[in-house]
Amino acid sequence: MKLAFACLVFGLALLPAVATPFFVNFVMTQTLILGLAAATIVFLAKYGGMISLAQLLMVGIAGFMYGNAALDGGARGLNLGWHPWAAAGFAILVTTLVAFVLGAIASRSTGIYFLMLTLVYGVIGYFVFAQIVEISGPGGITSIQRPELLGPPVLLYYAGLLLSVAAYAGFRALGRTAFGLALQGVRDDPVRMASLGFNVPLHRALAFALAGFVAGLAGLLNVWWNGQIDPASISIGPTLILLIIAVIGGISSLKGAWLGAFVYVLVLTYLRDLPLVDRIGLTEARFNTVIGVIVLMIMVLSPEGLTGIVHKIRKQFGETRP
Amino acid sequence: MRRSKVLTLFMALALTAGCGGGGNASSGLPADQKQPASSGSSTGNGIRLGILGQCEGPFGGFHEDVVAGTTLALARFAGASPSSKTSALEGFSGAKVAGTPIELVGIGCGDDTADRIVQEVRRLVEQLGANVIIGPLSGDEGIAIAEYAKAHPDLTVLAGISGSQEQTLHVRAPNYFRFYGDGAIWNAGLGDLLHNKEGWETVAVIADDYSFGHTSAAGFIADFCAVGGKVTHRVFPPLGTTDYSSYIAQLPNPDEVDGYFWAVGGTGTQAALEAFVNGKGDLTGKQHAGNLFFNPDLAQALGTDIAGAYVGGFATLPSDVRTPEIEEYLAAADKTWESIPGALSGNKPAKPSVAAAFGFFYGYYTAGVALAEALEAVGGDITDVPAFHKAIAGLTLDLPYGDIKLDANRSGIVDVGLSRLVNESGKVVQQTVAIVPGVDQTFGGTFSPDTPSPGRDSPACAKRDLPWAGKAITVVNGVPQR
Amino acid sequence: MTPVVQVHDVTVAFGGLHALRGVDLDIAPGERLAIIGPNGAGKTTLFNVIAGDIAPTTGAVVIKGRDCTHRPSRHRPRLGLARTYQKARTFSGLTVCENIYLALAGHRGRHRTLWRSAADRRMRQEAAQVAGQVWLSGQLDVVAGELAHGQRRQLELAMAVAAQPDVMLLDEPASGLSRGERERLVELIESLDEQLTLLLIEHDMEVAFRVAQRVIVMADGRQVMAGSPDQVRADPHVHQIYLGTEGA
Repeated sequence: MKLAFACLVFGLALLPAVATPFFVNFVMTQTLILGLAAATIVFLAKYGGMISLAQLLMVGIAGFMYGNAALDGGARGLNLGWHPWAAAGFAILVTTLVAFVLGAIASRSTGIYFLMLTLVYGVIGYFVFAQIVEISGPGGITSIQRPELLGPPVLLYYAGLLLSVAAYAGFRALGRTAFGLALQGVRDDPVRMASLGFNVPLHRALAFALAGFVAGLAGLLNVWWNGQIDPASISIGPTLILLIIAVIGGISSLKGAWLGAFVYVLVLTYLRDLPLVDRIGLTEARFNTVIGVIVLMIMVLSPEGLTGIVHKIRKQFGETRP
Repeated sequence: MRRSKVLTLFMALALTAGCGGGGNASSGLPADQKQPASSGSSTGNGIRLGILGQCEGPFGGFHEDVVAGTTLALARFAGASPSSKTSALEGFSGAKVAGTPIELVGIGCGDDTADRIVQEVRRLVEQLGANVIIGPLSGDEGIAIAEYAKAHPDLTVLAGISGSQEQTLHVRAPNYFRFYGDGAIWNAGLGDLLHNKEGWETVAVIADDYSFGHTSAAGFIADFCAVGGKVTHRVFPPLGTTDYSSYIAQLPNPDEVDGYFWAVGGTGTQAALEAFVNGKGDLTGKQHAGNLFFNPDLAQALGTDIAGAYVGGFATLPSDVRTPEIEEYLAAADKTWESIPGALSGNKPAKPSVAAAFGFFYGYYTAGVALAEALEAVGGDITDVPAFHKAIAGLTLDLPYGDIKLDANRSGIVDVGLSRLVNESGKVVQQTVAIVPGVDQTFGGTFSPDTPSPGRDSPACAKRDLPWAGKAITVVNGVPQR
Repeated sequence: MTPVVQVHDVTVAFGGLHALRGVDLDIAPGERLAIIGPNGAGKTTLFNVIAGDIAPTTGAVVIKGRDCTHRPSRHRPRLGLARTYQKARTFSGLTVCENIYLALAGHRGRHRTLWRSAADRRMRQEAAQVAGQVWLSGQLDVVAGELAHGQRRQLELAMAVAAQPDVMLLDEPASGLSRGERERLVELIESLDEQLTLLLIEHDMEVAFRVAQRVIVMADGRQVMAGSPDQVRADPHVHQIYLGTEGA
């Protein structure tokens, strides 16, 4: 298993040498960014039993904060003109703090109520940025440059790869630490956790803050990659897309987050290039329908998403082998 | 061991798709380049054209119109023949100017968000190898694409019909060209007309609270204030408001102000005016003016009282103006296709001239004409990209709705047609009253690269000289009195 | 000797329903006390009040001289209190070892460590040891959700034992166990530190009377009588309200 993981990372590290720039800098970089963001949904769901719709908001907060802090001059945002890395640190700090506060407020609700509350966060967050134009534009923050260190696009790909690997390994390792085990305990039985001496709401809030921190990293990569962010970037549509990515991959599978993102980006980018696909009505305007059908099929075939399907196939093969 | 299969599959997919993405991977790290290998001049000497439209979102209905606009220009001036007689989306073939072929590599599908249009342009340029982009359609998209152009200096972008001011005035990408006006420009001359001819001293402005509403109102305010008028109120209802009564209440009463300027779009125009009737009493057409959303159809719900109102311009002129050039242009559209399903006909097949007479089609048409003429100017040689860009910037296009040349920021200096809603024996129609020639983005200095974007409080109301003040050409019965 | 747990005139009302009606209880250090009574007598509610899962409507709970009436349950382990639940509340997604580990971590305040240290390894070793005490050594890496019912009860007990509490509350530890398993349970309880204060609710008279030094009988939210196992066994009133059917 570890060997396969190492092989995969090695393969991805060599990818820029064999693949086209578009595939690396567009498809794969986007996959890594979306996967990193979706992995925070999976982390909260898998270890904390919390399905959050606020993760894209965290991506957005980090992006807006970076834009406001890093830009210097121009008509949009606060134009604080800070050093890019100071701006990046500031963005991550704000995102993590906001996540902690929002997590603390939501820490006493579970299940569907938690989902609804985080949906409300997402919607309120959208309106905050849409209406307080001083921090969001007006009309979004554009011309966002990435730090010089990440100048060539391929370095952004490597940054995405590095953070993705770190987040994947980190989340997995965290699951075995006192914090991670306690989080899983909170997921399984919060009452028991309290009687064992754990501060359950605080634990939930901290987990939410940690997820916010990682989502903030994805948010930084995203504005560095996209060069701009506007309130529409964090509206309800993209918020649901991120959840859908997590569901496609399998909501309880960390690697599924990246797998789901990969499938999503592939469909978004290449579906319309398939020969004759427009003859059956699959134009780009129907893209959301296609994604919807894919999600539906995956949900019917395997509630654990693509990861579950792969496991099933593997089992089948395993059984037919002598 | 379970996971290994997933990972292997993931990797296999990644590698297959990566290698399948194109065969032009070279040695070293091809991804480690600012410019994709396939763009710019490196794919030979042809134009690889990408068109950015919108197939989703509020302007999704105009997808056909905008692609048709560019196609018509290339059909007229580059010998292109559309692949279908009933739709422009099927593409075209045979386009060539001065020996340089123009190939349509793809049509981008935006959804009115900046994020999406950036992804679409990256697909067109970085995957499909486009070296010329025509588009985008809407305001925020324009800013994002102008930024993208700035970061990719070898690319050439001819804006479609995106109406934000900043895409040229603030971004100032040397390879981004706009051969039409912006949301502010389209209301130029209206203030001059209302102040000096109709005697308005004071006005209350009500506009959608988003970038186009702000920009549209800004053009009117800049113009009205420049000639000495005063703006007493500025009210900005959020986009998508359905009950405008509370915003109408913020407006002064009809006896407290000389007139009202409306920049409320979509279904809001009618709802806002109805709320006005309920809150302030009957409409007196003479006391109202609006931007391009003020159209004769409003009379169906509001009655003929609306007659008398002045209306700002758009990229094209109202249909009562019929010069030989316009007739020729519309006839050419009808000759190019049997029908196209444009937005004005509800995306049902209709005569192409219906779509061609409207600004969305026309903006993309001007971009297509600019491409053809610029190619002519450089003799079909686009290997010297700066020279090609210089040629575009120097163009003066002789276009059916008036000549267009570019200012220092490569934004169009255009003629704006102002019109009025009039009651013709019980039916309200739109009648062109004046053409304001030579309008540019700056409004005599109100707007500059250093001024904030149009917003709720900007621009301030200030008197200043406008180059076009008093130069409006009167139009009588559809004939400009030059 | 000052009582280690004091319950003063505690009333608990859920809406109009009175689960406890003025219960007083003093538990001496090292005492082994069993609470018996029919279903709905208020035994588990009393437990929940002492353990902090429920705040009493009126009255007070004092543990080791500290007023804990309105302190949430998470402060109890620090006072040396541990409990089990009537329905085993183990963490079904975690292994036996991890379940016990969490009990240790909660007691020691290692709640938020983000890395695995030497202290961590020691705690896991301890967890394995505790698992051995309840005969779960063979199931260390089995996920709790896959354990048999009896094993889950053993694990439940292990999680209470692990923290080495001064006061242990056991809510029906023998319910659903086979005869052999009950025997082992009694053995286990008898093997616990003599200093340990033990409070248990038990339906199984045999277990209750063997383990306890004092028995309290509850009915309808009140304490009906208290005494040594022999006294309670002999009391006709108790027979009537509780043992009647079984004794027949």
